[in-house]
Amino acid sequence: MRIVVPVKQVAALDDEFELLDDGAGVDPDFVERDLNEWDTFSLEAALLLSGAAGEGEVVAVSVGDDEASEALLTCLAKGADRAVRIWDDALQDADVLSVARVLAAAVERESPDLVLCGVQSSDAVNGATGVALAAHLGLPHVAVVSGLQYDAGSGTAMVERELEGGLIEVVTIRCPALLTIQTGINEPRYANLRAIKQAREKPMDELALSDLGLDDEAVTATAGARRRRLRPPESGGGAEIIEGSSAEAAARIADIVKERMSG
Amino acid sequence: MSGVLVVAETRRGELRDVSLELIGAARTVKDAAGGRIAVAVVAADAEAHAGALALDGVDEVLTVTSPAPHFEPHVTQRALEALIGSERPSLVLVGHTIDSLGFAPAVAVSAGLGFASDVTALGWDDGPTAARGAYGDKLVAELDFPGRETTLLMVRAGAFEPAEGPGQAPARAVDVELGDAAASEHVEFREAAAGDVDITKADFLLSIGRGIEDKDNIPQFEELAEKLGATLSVSRPLVDAGWMSNARQVGQSGKTVKPKVYLALGISGAVQHLAGMQKADTIIAVNSDPEAPIFSVAHYGVVGDLFEVAEALDSHFD
Amino acid sequence: MSVPAAEEERPVARDPKYDILFEPIQIGPKTLKNRFYQVPHCIGAGSERPGFQAYHRAVKVEGGWGAVCTEYCSIHPESDDTSRVSARIWDDGDVRNLGAMCDRVHHYGGLAGIELWYGGPHAPCMESRATPRGPSQIPSDFEINIHPRYADKDDILELQKMYVDAALRARDAGFDIVYVYGAHSYLPLQFLSPFYNKRTDEYGGSFENRARFWKETLEKVREAVGDDCAIASRFAVDTLLGPASIEIGEDGVRFVEYVDHLVDLWDLTVGDIAEWGQNAGPSRFFEENHEKPYTGVIKAGDHTDKPVVGVGRITNPDTMVAIIKSGQFDIIGGARPSISDPFLPKKIEEGRPEDIRECIGCNQCISRWEIGGPPMVCTQNATAGEEYRRGWHPENFSKAANADKGVLVIGAGPAGMECAMVLGKRGMSAVHLVEDASEIGGCVNWISKLGHSDGKENLARGTARGLGEWARITNYRQIQLDKLRNVEVHLNSRLSAQDVLEYGAEIVIVATGCHFATDGLNPATHAPIPGADTSLDWQLTPDQVVKGEKPIGQRVLVLENEGYHMGASVAQRLAGEGKQVHLMTQVGDIAGYMEYTLEAPMLHRDLHRLGVGIHTYTMLERIEPGACHAYNIWNEAHKEVFEVDTVVLCTQRLSNHELYHELKSDKAALEREGIEGLYLIGDAAAPRMLVDSIFDGHRLAREIDSPNPAMPLPFIRERRLWGEVANSDFDTQLFGTPDVAPV
Repeated sequence: MRIVVPVKQVAALDDEFELLDDGAGVDPDFVERDLNEWDTFSLEAALLLSGAAGEGEVVAVSVGDDEASEALLTCLAKGADRAVRIWDDALQDADVLSVARVLAAAVERESPDLVLCGVQSSDAVNGATGVALAAHLGLPHVAVVSGLQYDAGSGTAMVERELEGGLIEVVTIRCPALLTIQTGINEPRYANLRAIKQAREKPMDELALSDLGLDDEAVTATAGARRRRLRPPESGGGAEIIEGSSAEAAARIADIVKERMSG
Repeated sequence: MSGVLVVAETRRGELRDVSLELIGAARTVKDAAGGRIAVAVVAADAEAHAGALALDGVDEVLTVTSPAPHFEPHVTQRALEALIGSERPSLVLVGHTIDSLGFAPAVAVSAGLGFASDVTALGWDDGPTAARGAYGDKLVAELDFPGRETTLLMVRAGAFEPAEGPGQAPARAVDVELGDAAASEHVEFREAAAGDVDITKADFLLSIGRGIEDKDNIPQFEELAEKLGATLSVSRPLVDAGWMSNARQVGQSGKTVKPKVYLALGISGAVQHLAGMQKADTIIAVNSDPEAPIFSVAHYGVVGDLFEVAEALDSHFD
Repeated sequence: MSVPAAEEERPVARDPKYDILFEPIQIGPKTLKNRFYQVPHCIGAGSERPGFQAYHRAVKVEGGWGAVCTEYCSIHPESDDTSRVSARIWDDGDVRNLGAMCDRVHHYGGLAGIELWYGGPHAPCMESRATPRGPSQIPSDFEINIHPRYADKDDILELQKMYVDAALRARDAGFDIVYVYGAHSYLPLQFLSPFYNKRTDEYGGSFENRARFWKETLEKVREAVGDDCAIASRFAVDTLLGPASIEIGEDGVRFVEYVDHLVDLWDLTVGDIAEWGQNAGPSRFFEENHEKPYTGVIKAGDHTDKPVVGVGRITNPDTMVAIIKSGQFDIIGGARPSISDPFLPKKIEEGRPEDIRECIGCNQCISRWEIGGPPMVCTQNATAGEEYRRGWHPENFSKAANADKGVLVIGAGPAGMECAMVLGKRGMSAVHLVEDASEIGGCVNWISKLGHSDGKENLARGTARGLGEWARITNYRQIQLDKLRNVEVHLNSRLSAQDVLEYGAEIVIVATGCHFATDGLNPATHAPIPGADTSLDWQLTPDQVVKGEKPIGQRVLVLENEGYHMGASVAQRLAGEGKQVHLMTQVGDIAGYMEYTLEAPMLHRDLHRLGVGIHTYTMLERIEPGACHAYNIWNEAHKEVFEVDTVVLCTQRLSNHELYHELKSDKAALEREGIEGLYLIGDAAAPRMLVDSIFDGHRLAREIDSPNPAMPLPFIRERRLWGEVANSDFDTQLFGTPDVAPV
C-alpha cells in the first residue's frame, strides 16, 4: 500500500509586517513558516492506516523552496517513509491550479492507493489544491473528510463528510481515491527528538520541473488566476454604530446574524 | 461579457441561502457589464427549486436532474462541465461551501477555466476581477484572469447580499448524461456527536464579559446562546473570577477564534482579548461605554444596555 | 556575555492609546519622565545589602519605570523594625550604601525616592534596643507588648530634627524624592489620628492640633531640602477603622487640603498597619484598582493641586490609561506589579503588552519580608531578589554553553513550564515540554479555581473572589512558550521510562509534580491516620474537591496540617456552598502562613461569617465512617468526636518521583541512550509553594550549563568581610557571568 500525502509549508505573518514594492509580495523577514496544520491531520491519517496495515509506504510530497524541506523533515520525523520536494524558480508565484498540475506530475509517478490532502492551507485558504489534483490524476475524490475507514488495498473507503451546521454525511468512495482531510479527524502524533534527528537520514528527493517532464510554460498555462497586487484590508473605520432603542438594536443584530449565518 | 452562470446549492430538499447570495453577486456583475444570468441547479429534485430561483435579474433557470438522491461531487462536476460547454458563460459563480469544494476545482481543471476560491469581492474590467484574502485574511489579493474565456469563482458565504424580488425567468430542463458519473454513494446523514466544547470550531460565538456583572446572570446568557444557535464564550475576567471554565475563554491566553459571527456583550476589548477574536468575519459588540476598545475592531456596535438588548434579541429566535 | 531575549529587531510600535502613560509630569523641582512609579515597598535589602538594593531597584528603571523608591527607611535607631528589614539612613555608611542605589537608578535615567520612616511603637527596636517615642502611651496594636515613650515637646522637636537630618543625608546620597511617611499608621499618622493621639496639648485634640506634627515636619523637611528634592507624603486617606481614626470623608480630605502647599507629590493608600493587606490587597479578596473608592476621592473632589500617585495592584495598561484619563490619579503607582514585571513599561512602549508578566496578587513577596528573611521572592518573576546575588536579569538570558543538547522536560506544571521557557530563552537547540494532561499548567489549573466562598462581602472588607488571577502563571508561560521557536509543547502524552530513554534527549528534566497523601500521613505525627483512605468515596484530597470527582455531604471535616491556604480554601468553598464545615489543625492557628500574605484577617472574617467551625491544637486519632475522632494535642485525653459525612485530608503532599527514580536506577541504560543529565525539579523533588517550584525550574535552566547543574551555584552573600574590602570581593562569589550588567 502506498499513501501519498501532499503537504505545504505555510507562511504566517507577524503582527507587524511590511509589504514589498507596491504589493508584489511580503517582506520575508516578517514571515514565520510551519507545516500546514491541516496536513498534520492528513499525515496522521496516513500513518494510522499504514500502521494498522502493518505495511505500506507513506510518501510526503511538497511544492516548495529550500525552506519547505523543514516541513518535509517534520513529516519524516513523524513517520513518513520518504519525501519528495519539487521546486523551480518558475513556481515562485504559482497559483493553486499550477501547483496542482505540478503535484500531479510527481504524485502520478507514485501510483498511490490513496492520496490524502489537507482541506486547505492556513495561509492561502484555497481549499482547492486537493480536488484539482484529483482531477489531474483522474481519481475519485471527497472533500472535507472528518472520518475515514479504509483497509489496505481495498476498492472502497467509507468516509464522513463534515457539512455546515454540525451535520455529517457518510459516503462510500471508490478507491484509489483522493480525500481532503479536515482538522480534528484524529490526534496528530508528535516526533520525539530521536525521530527528528533520524528524519535527516530518510530519503528526500528534490525534483525540478524538468525532472517531471514539465517546463515553465506548463506552469503559466495552467494558472487559474493572476495576482495583480497585495494590499492591506480596508481599515474598518471603526464599527458601524447601530442607533435606536435596545429593541431596534436587537432587531438589527438579529438580521445581521441570520444573514451571516446563512449558507 | 456573455453571461454569468450561477450554480445553486441544495441539501436534503432545501435550497441553501448561499444560492440567493450568488444571484445577488451575479447581479452586481450584470449591472456593471451587462450580459445574462442563468441559474443552474443540479439535484434529484432540481425542477422543484426552479421557481424559488427565478428572481429579479435572473434570465433563465436551468435544471439538471441528478440520478443520485443526494449531492454527489462527480455528478455535479460532470453536469457543470456540460453546462459550461453549452452555455459558454464568461463567469461561473458557486458558493465557497463544503459541497462546492468537492467539485468546483475539478471543473476548473477539466474545463481549463480561470479560477479563484473564497472570493469576497467581484468586479468587471474587460473581464472578471476578484478579491480574496491572503496570508489568512491579513492582506487582500486582487486577481484577474487574463486569457480565460470562462472563469469560475467560489464566493464566500455572507460576502454578498441575497437577491430578492420575483422575476420571470423561464425554467429549462437540461439533459446531461450522468448515469455513470458518480464515484461515491450516500450512506446516511448523522448529527455530529456533541463533544467537549471547542469554541474554535464554532461558527457563531456569543461572548460575554465583565459587563454581565454577576455570576448569577450567566444562565440567561447560556439560554440565549442556545436559542441563537451560538456557542457561549467568555472573556478573561469571568475565568479569573472562576465563573466559567477557561475552555470557553477567548483571548491570548485562552483560544483564538475566527467564527462567522462574534457577538460580544459587555466585553470592553482588552488587548489580550482582541488578539483572540479580531479576525472573526463579523463582529458585533454591545457595551455601555462608547470608548470601549472593542468598537475599534467591531463591524457593528451598539452603545447601550446589554441586558435590554439581550432580552430583545431573544424574541427574534426560536 | 548576556544577550537580549528578543530575537529580531522590532520596530518600536507603541499603540497611541498608551501615549498618555509616557507623558512626563513635574513633581516639585523634578521631572518624572513617564507615569510609571514604583511606590516604596519592602524587599529585605535595606541599607545593609546595598548590592541587592541597587540592582533590584535599578532593573525596574532599566525596564522603563520613571521612579523607584526604597522601602520604608528608618531615620534613627529608635525606629528599628528588626526582625523585619527596613532601610536605614542613620549615618554616612548608610548614605554611601543607599548612594549606590541612587547612582544605578540615575544611570538608567530614573528618579530615586526615599521613604523617611519613624515607626513609633510599631517598631520593636530589637537590634538597637532603643526606646521608640509616640504621641500617647498606647502600646502597638500590631506588635507584641511595645509601649512608646510619651513624646513631650522637646521630644517632638528632636523627632522632627531626626526627619530633617535624615532628609539632608538623603539628599547627599542622591535621592530625588524625599517622603515624610505617614501611612500604615506610622508616626505622623499616629499624631494625626485620634486612635493613637489622646494628647491634650497643642499637638492633640482638634484637627489642626493633631495635624501639627506632620505639618511642621513637612515644613522643616521642605525648608531643608525642598529646593533640591521633591517632597512627597504617603498618606492613608482612610484607615478603615471608622470615626475612631482617619476617614476619607473627614480628616482624609481635610488633611490633604491642609498641607497641600507643602507637598510636591501625594502618595495615597488606605488601611493601617495591622491590616495593611487592605492596601497591599491580595487577589483572593481584592480586584485591580481596589482602592479607587477611597484614594480616588482626592482628585475627584478637587482636594489637591498636586500630582497624585496611587496603587491597587494595577497591571493592565488599559486600566492605567483609564485611571489617568478619568482623573483618578496622575501617576500609576505599582509595587507588586513592578516586582512581577520590571519591564512592564518597556513592553507597553515596544508594542508588546502581551509579554507583560502580570502580578497574581499572591503576596508571596510580602510574606518573605514579613517573616523577616531576605530576599523577597515573586511567584511570577523568579529573578526578583536575585538580580545582584545571582546575576539574573528578568529579560536577558545568556546563551547556554551546551545549547546543542536536546532537552526533554516531563510535566508542564509551574516548574516544568518555567524551566522549558527559560531553556528556550537561553537558546537551547530543541526543548520538548511533554505533558500528560490536555492542557499545560499542572496544579495551577485546579488551585486557581479555589478561593471563592459564597460571593458575599465581609463587612465591606473584601469579598472572597477566588484565585483566578493565579492562572496568570499559566497564561504568561503559555504565551512565551508559543513564541519560542525552539520549544515544542506536546499534550496528552504520558511517557514511560522506556519512552524517555528512547526520546533522544541528552538532558532529561522530570517535573512530574506531587499528590496529596491518601492515608493521612502528616507533619504532626509522621504516621498515617488510622481509617484515612481517600480512595473511599467519602474521603477526598483537595484536588478531588475541586475536580468534582466525588459527591460531598452536608457535614464536612477538613484536616489541614500544611499551614498554608489549601485547607482553608477548601473550607471556604464548601461553606460557601452551604455545607457545615469543620476546619481542624494541629497548630495554634489555621492557615498560619496566610498571616504573612496578609490574607488572614479577611479569611477569618469570611470563615466566621460562613459559620465554619475552627479547631486548633487538634488532631485526628482515627477516622470512621460518619465519625472523626479528634484529640487536643496538649492533652490527649481531651477528646471530641465529629459526626461528618465527608472528610477532606489536606495533611501533606508527596512527590511523584517514581519515573525519576526508575530512570536513575539504570545508569547503563541512560548512558547507552545518550542521556547526559537527569534532573528532578519542583514538587516532584519536594512539594513546596508555587513560588518555589517556579524558582526551582528557573534556576536549573539558568545553570543548565554549569559543571553540576543539580547543585545550585553559589550566590553572593552581602556580609561583613574581615579586613579591607572592595566590591569586587563580593562579585567573585558569583560563579558564572551575570546577565545583569555592571554599570
